[in-house]
This record gives sequence, structure tokens and C-alpha cells, in this order.
Amino acid sequence: MPPIQQFDTTIHLLQKVLDLRSRNQQVISSNIANAETPGYKSLSFDFEEELKSAMAEGGLRPVATNEKHFAITPSRIDEIKGRITENPDRTGIGDRNSVSVDNEMIKLSENELLYEAAVAMLNKKLSILKYAANDGR
Amino acid sequence: MDIFTTFKVAASALEAQRIRLDTISSNIANVETTSTPEGGPYKKKSVYFESTPVSFDQHLQSSIENNVKGVKVARILEDNSPPKKVYNPSHPDADKEGYVAMPNVNVLKEMTDMMSATRSYEANTTTIKSAKRMALKALEIGR
Repeated sequence: MPPIQQFDTTIHLLQKVLDLRSRNQQVISSNIANAETPGYKSLSFDFEEELKSAMAEGGLRPVATNEKHFAITPSRIDEIKGRITENPDRTGIGDRNSVSVDNEMIKLSENELLYEAAVAMLNKKLSILKYAANDGR
Repeated sequence: MDIFTTFKVAASALEAQRIRLDTISSNIANVETTSTPEGGPYKKKSVYFESTPVSFDQHLQSSIENNVKGVKVARILEDNSPPKKVYNPSHPDADKEGYVAMPNVNVLKEMTDMMSATRSYEANTTTIKSAKRMALKALEIGR
């Protein structure tokens, strides 16, 4: 059964983006907190590809021909969970910690800006709905 | 998952960095301490960080939240490298040859360590500020 959609896919998508961005925020803050912990491997959280493949319509999609098949790529926005990858230290110098604080700070502000952009778009969308619901007043 | 996980993670780091700063200030304060209750000169202390799960209920949650970790000071280590020997026969702690064992604290190292701790502290306050801005922005939805 398709999920009940109160509004349209844009709102649905933006809702998911906010969720994923706040998760990304947690992962980045974990990296910054552990910037000086020996042996800590920095984590990166990726969801853009999954989001893209869930949004793409008409492209090549895996088809479940057997009930035992499980989804390779999420086909619904709801199913996107994001993927965490560990980046081990490759320099071999020091305490095997692979966090680069400057990189993380850039990711942090980028993530925040994109979160705010999603909120702004959501607000715009809702204000259009409000305008329509109020008879254009 | 909740909005306060970032705060918890960053707060654990702030606490860890504060303990590190306390240790550094103890080292700098005791740079000339030649006698301690344990005997011998003061020994340089340093902190050992360890990543730690944010809260207990995290163990019950999905793998993404399991990967998000805070930090804590696991233990405070004593540097057992030999003390510096300074010739000062009139000092009450001088040995038979007139040498005094001074703490193995290097003030320059402590200063750079202190700068590094301050910067880490600032980086974590930045994450808290950014999480707060995001949460406030979310409250504006639909206004």
C-alpha cells in the first residue's frame, strides 16, 4: 500500500531531508568530539545517492521478481536510511586518528546551510498552501 | 534519535577538554615543585581520551546511532620519564652531589597543548551553536 500522502512529494522529500541532515549533524559532531581520541576512525554519512535513486522515475530500477528478493536501492523516500562509512587513517603517522577538524567544520556549516535551505523551501511550500486555503487572501 | 544527541556528544567533548585543561594548568602550576606527598618531584600528567557511547539506550538502537560517539577521559597518565637534574646544593631537596630533581614538565609543550585544547573546545561549542540554530530553524516551519 502506498503511504498516505497528506501533501505532495516535495513536502515528503523535504521532511526526509531534514531528518537525514540532522543525523548527519550528529555524525559530524561525533567526529569533532573525537578529534583527539587515539584510534578513532572518522565517519561519513551519505544519503544523497539513495535520495537521488529514490527520486529518479523511469530510470533503471531493480525489480523484485521473487518474494525473497530484498531491495538493493530504496525505492521509496521513507526507506532511505543513509549509509555510514568509516574512513581509516592512511597516513600512518601519530595515533591512528583520521579526523580532520577543518574538513569537519566545513561539512558542519555546509550541512547546516542545506538544512536551513530545506526549512526555507518547506516554509515557502506551506505558505503557498496557506494562500490557496485562504482563498488567495 | 533526538535533537539533543548532538548536544550530548559535544558536551562530553567539552567536559573532556576541560579536564585536559585542568591537567595542563596543574602541570604548569607545578613546574618547580620538587616535593610531593608521594615523594620525589612532581610528575607530568596527561589525559587519555576514549570514545564512548552517548547513552545506554543507544545500544538498543540502530547502527547509525551506535556509530555516533562521545568522548571521555579514560584515565590520567603520569609521565615516568626521569626528572631534570639541576645543580643547586643549597636547596633542601638536593641530593649528596648537590643536584635537585626538578619535575619533567616542559612549559613550551604545555603551552602548545593548551592552545590545542582551547581550539578543540571552541570547535565543539561551534557544533552546539550550529545544532541549536538548526533546532530553532525547525521551530519556524509553518509559521
